[in-house]
Amino acid sequence: MSATRIEHGVSRPAPVAIEVDGTPIDAFPGESLATALLAAGVRAFRRTASGAPRGPFCNMGVCFDCVVTVDGEREVRACAATVRAGMRVETGADGAG
Amino acid sequence: MEQAEVAVVGAGPAGLAAALLLARHGVDVVLVDEQARPGGQIYRQPPRTFAGAGLPPGRAYASGHALLEAVEGSAVRRRLRTLVWGLFEPEESETAQVNGSTPRPAWVLALADGEGLHRLAARHVLLAAGAYDLPVAFPGWTLPGVMAAGGVQAFVKSQKLLPGRRFVLAGAHPLLLLVADQLLAAGADVAAVALAQQRPAVVEALAAAARLRGRVAGLAGAAGPMLRLRRAGVPLLFSHLVAAAEGVEGLEAVRLRPVDAAWSPYAGTDVRIECDTLALGYGFVPSTELARQAGCAHAWRSAAGGWVTAHDAWLRASRAGISVAGELTGVAGAEQAVEEGRLAACGILGDLGRVDAAGAERLAAESRRRLRPLRRFSTLVQERFEPRREALAALARDDTIVCRCEEVTAGELRASLAGHPHLGDADAVKQLTRVGMGPCQGRFCQLTVIALAAEATGRTPAELGPFTARPPVKPVPLGRLADAAHPYPEEVDA
Repeated sequence: MSATRIEHGVSRPAPVAIEVDGTPIDAFPGESLATALLAAGVRAFRRTASGAPRGPFCNMGVCFDCVVTVDGEREVRACAATVRAGMRVETGADGAG
Repeated sequence: MEQAEVAVVGAGPAGLAAALLLARHGVDVVLVDEQARPGGQIYRQPPRTFAGAGLPPGRAYASGHALLEAVEGSAVRRRLRTLVWGLFEPEESETAQVNGSTPRPAWVLALADGEGLHRLAARHVLLAAGAYDLPVAFPGWTLPGVMAAGGVQAFVKSQKLLPGRRFVLAGAHPLLLLVADQLLAAGADVAAVALAQQRPAVVEALAAAARLRGRVAGLAGAAGPMLRLRRAGVPLLFSHLVAAAEGVEGLEAVRLRPVDAAWSPYAGTDVRIECDTLALGYGFVPSTELARQAGCAHAWRSAAGGWVTAHDAWLRASRAGISVAGELTGVAGAEQAVEEGRLAACGILGDLGRVDAAGAERLAAESRRRLRPLRRFSTLVQERFEPRREALAALARDDTIVCRCEEVTAGELRASLAGHPHLGDADAVKQLTRVGMGPCQGRFCQLTVIALAAEATGRTPAELGPFTARPPVKPVPLGRLADAAHPYPEEVDA
C-alpha cells in the first residue's frame, strides 16, 4: 500500500536521489518532501512522545504532524519543504518537543 | 527595517485581488505568503518543474488563472516562503526611523524566512490568511492515512499525487464531492463517500444553491460530481458520520455510523470499509490567529466557521490599520473572497488618501454589487451545511486524543472540566490540561475543546472564547535560523 504519482497530463523533470533513513529514494525536483516520502511508501513521518505514528494530516503547513529531520535540522514540515538532490531525511523523531 | 505602504498577508484569491488593485493605484504593496508560489489553497499551483500540469479546468479555477497571471506582471512585491508570525505596534525607535518624509507605520509585521527574522513596517495590513479544514476528533483520527479533505485535494491538484490506494471520504461539506470527483478523474479507487446529512436535505440544498446563483457554478456544481460518482459506481452514503479509523501503523479501515437528522447515532450497524486513506471534509475554520493576536474583535458565528473577524462596511477590523478579506469574515469561497479583497483595497485606498470618500465609493460600487448575490449564496451554503458541533464532539471517546500535539485525551479534558466547574474560558482549560500548547498552537483542538467545555459548563462558545493567540502564531524555525549553512529548501525552477 502506498501512494502513486499521477502520470497522465504531467511530465516531470529527471529524478534526483534523496536519502531517507539511510536508503536512497527517487524524488522529482519541485515536488514536496511529503509527496516524495508518501510515494516511497513512508506512512509514519514522525513518532509522538508516546510512540504513536503520525503522517501528513493538513498538507498545508498548519498541523505539524508531518515533521521530519532534514540534514540534521529538526521539525521540518515535509509538506512545506521542497526536495533537493542529496537531501538527508530522518523520520520517526518526536516532533512535538 | 523593510517597509511597505500596505502589507497583504495571504496570496489566495482575496490577497491577490486586493494587492493587484492597490498596485494599480500606485500603492507600494507587499504580498506575503508561506507557500513557494502564490494562489493560496484553492489556486495552489503545481511546481514550475512539472510540465503540462496546471490548475484543473473549470469555472472555479478560471478567475484564479487570471489573478495569478496578472500578479506576475504587476508591481506587487511578492515575499513568498515567508511566515508572518506576529503583528506589533511599532517601537519608539522604529517610529523615529520612518518619521520625517514617511508617515508613521501603523503596524510592524514579524517575518521569518530562510534567511532569518525580519521586520516589515506597513501603514496598513490586510489579513487574508484563508481557512483550514475543520478538525474532528474521533477514535483513530491521528493514524497516518487519515487526512483533511483539503490536504488530499492539494496532493492531487498541486503535487499530482494520489496519497493512497483506496479512499473513503467522510464529511458534511459539498467540497467533499468535488474532491471525490477529482480523485476519480485521477484514477483513484474511491471506496465510498459518506455525508452526514440526509439525502433529501443535500439534494434540496444543492438545488436551492443552484437556483440562487441562476447558473451552475462553484459549489452549486456539486450535482455534476454526484452524477459522475454514481455512474462510476461509488457508493454515496447519506446520514453516515465517521465513527472510527482502525489500524496500527496506519489506516486500515474506517467505520461509518448511521445517524439521524441531528447527526446522533440511532440503532443501526456501522459500515466498515477497508481503505488506506480517509479524507475528512466537515467544514472549514477561518485562520484568524494574526487578527486575534493583534487584538481585533471577533464574533462567534458557527455556520460561518466559528470565530470570524468583526469588521465594518469597508472590511476594516476593530484595530486601526488592519483590514480583513476572504474566509476571515466567514467561510464563503473564492469568488466572494476576490470581491472582498477588492472592497477592502478600496477602503485602504481611501484611508491612505489615494482617493477621496466619493472616489472610494465609486471604486467599490462594482464589488459591492457583486457581493450581494455572492453573500446570499454563501449564507445559504453555510446554513445548509453547518457542522453539528455537539454531534462531532460526541465522537471523541474518553481515550480519543483531542490535542494531537500534546496527546491530551477527551477523557482527561472531561475529567478536568468535571473537577473544575468554575473554569470560565478556553484559556483556563488550556492552562489546566496543556491542550493547545503544541506546535499547531491549538488550531486542531480548539473547537473540540470548546464544544466539550460548552457541554460540561453550559456556557456558550461566545462566552468561552477562543484560545488567546500569542506570537509567534506559528513556531518560528529557530534551528534553521541558527545555521546559515542550511538554506531553506528552494523551489527548483526549470
